[in-house]
Amino acid sequence: MGSSTATQSSSSYDLSFKILLIGDSGVGKSSLLLSFISNAVDDITPTIGVDFKIKTLTVGGKRLKLTIWDTAGQEKFRTLTSSYFRGAQGIILVYDVTRRDTFTNLSDVWAKEVELYCTNEDCVKMLVGNKVDRESERAVSREEGVALAKELGSLFLECSAKTRANVEQCFEELTLKIMEVPSLLEEGSTSGKKNILIQKQQQQQTTQSLSSCCS
Amino acid sequence: MKVTGGIGNNGDSGNLMEGMDFPDYEDVSALESLSSGDQSPFVEDSDSHSNLMLDEFSSSKRAMEPNDVSDSESSDSDSSADHDVHHSFLSIRSMHDTAEVHSKEDSSPSKTEVQPQPCNAEDFATWQRIIRVDAVRANEEWIAYSTPQAGVVSDGRAHCSAQAVGLKDYDHLEPSRIFHAARLVAILEAYALYDPEIGYCQGMSDLLSPIITVMTEDHEAFWCFVGFMRKARHNFRLDEVGIRRQLNIISKIIKHKDSHLYRHLEKLQAEDCFFVYRMVVVLFRRELTFEQTLCLWEVMWADQVAIRAGIGKSAWSRIRQRAPPTDDLLLYAIAASVLQRRKQITEKYSSMDEILRECNNMAGHLDVWKLLDDAHDLVVTLHDKI
Repeated sequence: MGSSTATQSSSSYDLSFKILLIGDSGVGKSSLLLSFISNAVDDITPTIGVDFKIKTLTVGGKRLKLTIWDTAGQEKFRTLTSSYFRGAQGIILVYDVTRRDTFTNLSDVWAKEVELYCTNEDCVKMLVGNKVDRESERAVSREEGVALAKELGSLFLECSAKTRANVEQCFEELTLKIMEVPSLLEEGSTSGKKNILIQKQQQQQTTQSLSSCCS
Repeated sequence: MKVTGGIGNNGDSGNLMEGMDFPDYEDVSALESLSSGDQSPFVEDSDSHSNLMLDEFSSSKRAMEPNDVSDSESSDSDSSADHDVHHSFLSIRSMHDTAEVHSKEDSSPSKTEVQPQPCNAEDFATWQRIIRVDAVRANEEWIAYSTPQAGVVSDGRAHCSAQAVGLKDYDHLEPSRIFHAARLVAILEAYALYDPEIGYCQGMSDLLSPIITVMTEDHEAFWCFVGFMRKARHNFRLDEVGIRRQLNIISKIIKHKDSHLYRHLEKLQAEDCFFVYRMVVVLFRRELTFEQTLCLWEVMWADQVAIRAGIGKSAWSRIRQRAPPTDDLLLYAIAASVLQRRKQITEKYSSMDEILRECNNMAGHLDVWKLLDDAHDLVVTLHDKI
């Protein structure tokens, strides 16, 4: 089921990037991902541990494969989720514009997690304020968001997973920025090639083992 | 909730609450029982039942020293899962002791053992907030299986219950879902107070939801949940010891059953079996349908009861064809679900990510009876080796 699409997509992209979604529980990380992948905007049960989705898209004339990792927000899962920072080229830090604590936790907790666990110095960060469809309940102003983004040296966008406003822009801007960084571009293209190589090796192995079985 | 009020009969209730150091304490919604409204036809029955439980509580309490209780509650090993039933009633007392430690702000060595450091990382207000968010987004699969009384909830009653527990952002939900969410909040908050070492962790609402679907009374559902959590609570420990122990057993099962698959996992550095993390944490709840989950859990519990009743391996060794009861049936079932996919994994997957995706996408593709058959076969051949 999933495997056939994976094989297909792996042979039809130029670059492959790993992107990670982090932030407090309930800010809408999974919703943001689902909104981007499948346009669905239902209530989503809390993420247990980690999950990921793959999306192929064309940005700046390049065919891209994005592996987007969605993590559980609660502290109890942090030992697990921290191990998934490794090798990420892009990190999206999500907060809920209607809940100030999720915003302050980004600088108090999550930015430090990134510093600790991200193995990639050039990794591109993006600050995303979700749930702007609930403007009347807003507790964090756009200006504050911009200021924090500046402080963290990250990109910034406000979006709504529910209305899909700015959702695609969020992932596109991030990947465009990643592609501007030579070291990340290099990683993205080698991991793409390596993947294809492994696929080929695998196919050879299977045909070999099949033939040895038959003989 | 009613149970908490009942403890007042033993003269403890006041102290229990005074000693607590939770910032949002006055807002503790669990103090109200939602299910015991006037509409419920079971009120009388359940009252006598809860009295019965409280009698057990008070008599067993007299039999034990409070200090013993504290020790057992803070026990680190999985073996505390096998505690006598009375212990769980008693540990509400130990929670009280723990709370006092906090309010006094002193840290004599013996008392810090009672409340290990990591549990201060998140406070009750945090748990409360996450519980409320999670309750509203609980999946609605249970509705088809709920009892008729629970199915018909008036709009007024639903909103009343939601207000009682401080539920937010629920206007888009049907009354029966609002009511379900409110019950989740009440019981999960009560549990967080009852077991502050664990508090609340995401995934616990997945475990409680089936219980409140089949039990219309909050206090009964609470104690059932407490019994369930005696083993499952180790899945939610901050240090992940419980999870790692279980993943390790699954890894061993795979290694003994299928060395080819195991070598492949080693090659991909996936032999730690972290790809089945979610299955372990919420006991297959996300991969199986509601009905299948109840099936698996009941078979699992039957095994655990058989063990507690002393029907161990010796009785089974005479009937060699059948699997002896095991405390780890879940882990054999998880290993079985991975082994069922050995062909794809060994031939097609070249990274742990792909295996993780396969496992996270199992929902809707599992046959619970085949899974149990395979799990039992594994138990028969491997229980001596694991």
